[in-house]
Amino acid sequence: MTPVTALTLTLLIPLASAAGIAFFLRRRGGLASTLSVAAAALLCICSFIAINARGDAAIVASWDWLSFGEFKVSMGFLLDDVAATMLAMVSFVGLLIHVFSLGYMKSDKAQARFFGGLSIFMFSMIGIILADNLIMIFVFWELVGFSSYMLIGHYLETEEAKAASKKAFIVNRVGDLGFLIGIVLAYWHFGTTDLTKMEQLTLGHPELVNAGIAAFLICGFIGKSAQFPLHVWLPDAMAGPTPVSALIHAATMVAAGIYFLIRISFLLPVEVLGFVAWLGTAVAVYAGFCAYAQNDIKRILAYSTLSQLGYMAAAFGLGYPGIALFHLITHAFFKALLFLGAGSVIHGCHHEQDIFKMGGLLKRMPITAITFAIGVLALCGVYGLAGFYSKDAILIAGGLEKTVIFILLTLGAFLTAGYMGRLFWVAFLGAPKSDAASHAKESPLTMVIPLLILAGLSVVGGMIQLWPEGLGALIRFDLERLHHAEGYSAMHHDVLIYGSAAWVVGLLGAFFFYGVGAKDDRLARIAPSVFAFLKARLWFDEIYGFYVSQVQDRFAAILSFLDVFLLRGLIIRGSAGLVGILGLGVRTLHVGNLHAYVYWFLGGLLLFWAFVGTVL
Amino acid sequence: MFDPNATVLLAAILVPLFAGVVLAFGSGYTGGMRRGVALGGFGYPLVAAFFLAFRFDPAQVGAYNFESKLATGLDSFGIYLHLGLNGISLPLFLLAGVVGFAAGLYAMFSNAERPHLYLALMLFMQSGLMGTFASVDIFFFYFFHEFALIPTFIMIAVWGGTGRRTAAMEMTIYLTLGAMLSLLGLVSLYVTSGAESFSLPELRDYLATHPLSETLQANIFGLLLFGFGILVSLFPFHSWAPKGYASAPTGTAMLHAGVLKKFGLYGLLQIGVPLLPVGMAHWFPWLAWLALGNIIIIGLVTIAQRDLKLMLGYSSVMHMGYAFLGIAAFSVVGAGGALLMMVAHGLSVALLFMLSTCIYHRSLTFDLGAMGGLAVKAPVLCAFFVAASMASIGLPGFGNFWGEFTIFMALAETEFTRWLVLPAALGIIISAIYGLRAVANIFFGKPKAEFAARWDSDEVKDLQGFEKTPAMILLAALVVIGIFPRLVSDRADAELGGLYPIKESLPQFETTAGTPAVSGKEQTH
Amino acid sequence: MTIGLNAFLIVAGLLFAIGMLGVTLRRNTLVIFMSLELMLNAVNLALVTFSRYNGTMDGNLFVFFIITVAAAEVALGLAIIVALFKRRETIMVEQLNALNR
Repeated sequence: MTPVTALTLTLLIPLASAAGIAFFLRRRGGLASTLSVAAAALLCICSFIAINARGDAAIVASWDWLSFGEFKVSMGFLLDDVAATMLAMVSFVGLLIHVFSLGYMKSDKAQARFFGGLSIFMFSMIGIILADNLIMIFVFWELVGFSSYMLIGHYLETEEAKAASKKAFIVNRVGDLGFLIGIVLAYWHFGTTDLTKMEQLTLGHPELVNAGIAAFLICGFIGKSAQFPLHVWLPDAMAGPTPVSALIHAATMVAAGIYFLIRISFLLPVEVLGFVAWLGTAVAVYAGFCAYAQNDIKRILAYSTLSQLGYMAAAFGLGYPGIALFHLITHAFFKALLFLGAGSVIHGCHHEQDIFKMGGLLKRMPITAITFAIGVLALCGVYGLAGFYSKDAILIAGGLEKTVIFILLTLGAFLTAGYMGRLFWVAFLGAPKSDAASHAKESPLTMVIPLLILAGLSVVGGMIQLWPEGLGALIRFDLERLHHAEGYSAMHHDVLIYGSAAWVVGLLGAFFFYGVGAKDDRLARIAPSVFAFLKARLWFDEIYGFYVSQVQDRFAAILSFLDVFLLRGLIIRGSAGLVGILGLGVRTLHVGNLHAYVYWFLGGLLLFWAFVGTVL
Repeated sequence: MFDPNATVLLAAILVPLFAGVVLAFGSGYTGGMRRGVALGGFGYPLVAAFFLAFRFDPAQVGAYNFESKLATGLDSFGIYLHLGLNGISLPLFLLAGVVGFAAGLYAMFSNAERPHLYLALMLFMQSGLMGTFASVDIFFFYFFHEFALIPTFIMIAVWGGTGRRTAAMEMTIYLTLGAMLSLLGLVSLYVTSGAESFSLPELRDYLATHPLSETLQANIFGLLLFGFGILVSLFPFHSWAPKGYASAPTGTAMLHAGVLKKFGLYGLLQIGVPLLPVGMAHWFPWLAWLALGNIIIIGLVTIAQRDLKLMLGYSSVMHMGYAFLGIAAFSVVGAGGALLMMVAHGLSVALLFMLSTCIYHRSLTFDLGAMGGLAVKAPVLCAFFVAASMASIGLPGFGNFWGEFTIFMALAETEFTRWLVLPAALGIIISAIYGLRAVANIFFGKPKAEFAARWDSDEVKDLQGFEKTPAMILLAALVVIGIFPRLVSDRADAELGGLYPIKESLPQFETTAGTPAVSGKEQTH
Repeated sequence: MTIGLNAFLIVAGLLFAIGMLGVTLRRNTLVIFMSLELMLNAVNLALVTFSRYNGTMDGNLFVFFIITVAAAEVALGLAIIVALFKRRETIMVEQLNALNR
């Protein structure tokens, strides 16, 4: 099998699985799930074959797809180091989540639709990873948006899923609008959207890098990675089944925005990078605050995802794409672990998602609880775990480049530890606070094994020296660059102290502030106004809701009224009416009396005479 | 020079006509016989279209494949029944075959009164459609369009839904006006050119050496633009469309919105712009602004609709704006994008109109606020409707995406039209809003009160076989174009390359219509 | 003594005026019809007079045509009036106003 064949198979296997489910297995959920998991396993194998075959050079292949005059589209693969790293993560984590879904979705009545959706998602996501040009990225970018829409809306009879799926798609479309314009402009600017060719062009002619095009392009990232001001869809997207939240809205799709930035990093000028850094930092801190006012276990994790995406964006903006990628990978491990753990808890507690109605799960679901704890510690950046290495590097980069960003990101780390502590202490320790929680049982093997594997990865995944040789070259390069940066050792020292202080203080603070197995939120009790402010999340949703219902819909209604009343009614019907009135008027001349006609005749004759005789 | 394939082409027009005549006198036929005749009448054009597409010789750029020229007795005017296909008309010919077959299949099993007459009229329409896109002669190009248009009016007035009389009347007057204007344009083209022929290639060759004066071009193109514009519902001449489609019977709406409406765009693409480039340059600002009106104003109007069929009607008007913009870009890219858009839109809008009727049979209402939750009862219908909506929204994987994308590309190609990209692209958000709202209101959530009362009745069931087959045909065509756009684009690209000169060769394009280009916000250098 | 052109024309004019007043004022269709004939014959008289005074045959030629047409018209017109009377039992114009509706 040539590497290109392996890549083609990697891309097409999930599509074939989705098509098979759609055509033949709609009513056979069991078979459909088996097919989808088998496809995920197979594509995982194929992707590893391709990655192995890669060696040092990138695998490149390209096919002409469409051409009109000067406009040519091609589809192709570019499996370089970054793509290989991402592909390995996505196919492996994807497989684990597929396996987990086997247990989690077992009793769902629309199992086939769910697994078909997962397969479409894998197809689209792998398409983004492998794409060698912007147009192909956009094609699959939209397709992941669609599969996300489909999977968020999985519980389609609930109003929540109905609204959330629509919102996710439309908000993403807003970002894609900018992305689309960016691509279109880039095509005529560079004469191609091929990543390799564009990189060579910008290397040769740095003046070709254009801030306007870059600004349009990063709109795509802002939408997909849920950054300001398009972040509103991600928390709502938790209406989907939990494995979906783990796969799409934590580990892979939302990270695709960061991946996209890394792929086009040569197109972004310094100003845009600075903007991305500040944007990411702002989101990291904002989302950290928002998480304190959430009681739904999944929504807390969603805000945590937002915040970690902010970290990645900040690392990228500070000029270290490798470190952003590093955090993307480690985050995928522990965030997938946390979401799957949450899924296991929800499954055990019969779809109870409020952490204040859980409690005591450590005893009843020990494996879930322990793996969850590992995930929490990894997320907080506890020394030696996956999150430590990447977050540490981001903080160091921040400290070296911009002190304010460093301070804000450290604050973000403290906030992270605080709300994760709140979540863990309240939900897993103490006594059960509801029937559902007291009857919770450990989840079946298909769900526990992925948890264990992900927990293992969350522990060792950050040790880059343990990674396979062919993966993570960019990460190594950027880490190396960071290590040799001026003032590294002093800053490393500082970050160790501040970073560790942040998680220790955060976790312990939450322990003492909220208390083990608390029944209600102490913050809401002692400072309701602060809690309400955090819960309002800076009123983004309200502002958008106001815009949609009061501005856009009203404007549309007015236009519609004008269209019907003015255009159709007044002008079209009006002209028809005018002709009608004229007809009525002329009809009154027809009195039916012979004498009248004679008079008309005579009158006409006189007129004619006058006209001919030029009297008139 | 006799080409046996030319007979196949001619038969694609005559077979449906003949089947229609047979059915018109077939009041005593049994259902099976009726369907057999109709199947032959709709099936043959489909088979012929695919047969000819495989036989098509792409090397004949600038000329026509499968040419035949029959005398009509109007030789002194240079009018012949001159048939043939080129790279631009072939995709539309295929479209007519596919949509016609799907619409015919659906109509065969619909419960219309006097089904033999209904099917006969549809077959006449089909014959006219095949003829329009197979005509090389401008006179017959127009003639076949009218031939297909008249059954439309009759079908709306007889078999239509609520308000069919006024809708049919309004549509008749409006469309006749549009047709008159375009006829006036075509005739004045004939008269002023001095080529003494209605044959398109002859006119083209003649005008290439004897171009018309600037004023004449501007005047004739104006007639063609507004004449064809009315037929394609160019803003603000669109008001016949939503109401007309809302009250049209399903088969008619599928054929008209899907295929017949493309006549105007095809006329501009194949005749108007290549023959009258200076006139096009003169009217460019008008075309661009009105097309934006289609996209943004009608897009917002679509958002405000609460009736499924009206919404679909408006959305089809909105998407025509993209095709107009593609034509306005005046380049191979733009024309190609418009062509892709026409084909894909034809398929998707026909599918949506069909599915909306399927939904109506289950909900007994078109009111979007009174449905909900249908996905539980009819998952296959839901899947088709979601796919069709996604196609019309422009999701990659369906043909519409390539059309829209190519048009955006075309607009950005030159500084002159680049300012149009942003407002035009706003349409992708607008269409997502109304498309997803409709899906959510019909299929997601819980059923509304009145609908819930009928929840357990037998009528609320999933898509049946006779509904599934035509839907499958249309969707498959959309997906094939979405995945392999080259199937349409390669031949059209070669053909358009000869028709659309590079813009720089036309200094007028820069000078006469330079006013709207001042917005330089997206300048790249 | 010769009678001058004016005298003929005055008689023709008077005849024509009588005919026209008859057409416009009388309500019996039969009388209107006869008034029409009177007008035609007034024109005939004038034409013959002009023909005589100009010494050409043009006017006479016209008169022959008019007489022929008038004869045909009388035949048709009377038949219509008789048919009308049979059907409507009146020939008064104010009652013959079906076009009003």
